[in-house]
Amino acid sequence: MKTSELIASLSAAVEPVPPMAVARRIVPALAAGGVVAFALLLVWLGLRPLDIAVHTRAFWMKGGYTLTLALGALMLVAALSRPGRSSRWAWVFIGAALVFVFSMAGMQLARTPASERMTMWLGETWNLCPFRIAAFSAPFLVGLIIAMRRLAPTRLAEAGAAAGLLAGALGATTYELFCQESAAAFVATWYTLGIVACAGVGAIVGARLLRW
Amino acid sequence: MIKGLSGDGRAHAALLSEAASYLRGYFARRIGADAADLEDLVQETLLAIHLKRDTYDQSQLFTPWLYAIARYKLMDSFRRAGSRKTVPLDEADELFTTENPEEGAVRRDVGALLARLPARQRRLMEDVKITGLSMEEAAQKSGMSVTAVKVSVHRGMKRLQQEVSDEDL
Repeated sequence: MKTSELIASLSAAVEPVPPMAVARRIVPALAAGGVVAFALLLVWLGLRPLDIAVHTRAFWMKGGYTLTLALGALMLVAALSRPGRSSRWAWVFIGAALVFVFSMAGMQLARTPASERMTMWLGETWNLCPFRIAAFSAPFLVGLIIAMRRLAPTRLAEAGAAAGLLAGALGATTYELFCQESAAAFVATWYTLGIVACAGVGAIVGARLLRW
Repeated sequence: MIKGLSGDGRAHAALLSEAASYLRGYFARRIGADAADLEDLVQETLLAIHLKRDTYDQSQLFTPWLYAIARYKLMDSFRRAGSRKTVPLDEADELFTTENPEEGAVRRDVGALLARLPARQRRLMEDVKITGLSMEEAAQKSGMSVTAVKVSVHRGMKRLQQEVSDEDL
């Protein structure tokens, strides 16, 4: 076919496109992922007693960390879902989240006697936490990949990693509704490990599945 | 582009033809002007522009968006090169109109960038860089000294480069 014919056929009936392409795809994907992840939490582990949790500082520390991370990752996803865009602000939020949790961890550890630091760091569930976070992030990642395939990411591995990071941070936020670990060092290590693993999976999966 | 987005078929066709000549130049520089799959690549990218047109953000410059899609399609074709047979072109004659950066969408981007400069500097930049006046002519026209014009144009270029890299490319 000649290029001029192609152009003529493409312009024959141009439908107007609604604005906010990214939000229209990403928001429903995250909402659906959230519903599935939350249902999984209820069926599998159940909620921690939230009326007590909301009075603990650790609950808000953990939420602040993972939600700030999620916000940064969301900006990355939005930018990388479109050709020719990137987002510096995303890295500000991601950096701030990491600085926050690691400085909290450092201060807490400094105040703790050396003999108890190991217990604090490992908590009771260190060997479960990263895997559970990965499990809860899976519905978010599936939703995001489906949504981003319909957008136009041009750097596939990076876009996939951003999706994985966002899914990981939201999976971790879901898991916080169960997990009673309260030490910042625990969160900084095992939560971060689970989230980073998700970003890695996202990068690998994204490079294959995000092609369009 | 914006008119095409709201459903104006003629504007959309104009945009696609303009993009086609731009893409031809872009791909020709990278895979050679007589590469067999040059026009396939152009058509594939045009189709992508059409299908993914809702991912263009109207508040942003158009060329980086187009360029990123073109780059992606080029990479994609390299990736598949091993497994795909190339089909010879049926129509190879009218292909080689070269890219013309003065055309609409690109000019609109240049205009948008220039609009961010102060009025006097913008006029100097237009005179020297677009109309093609010499520094002396521009100086005469604006009533400034030649040195002042040179400095202003130089600073303007620097500022524009800065602005473009700030666009988050």
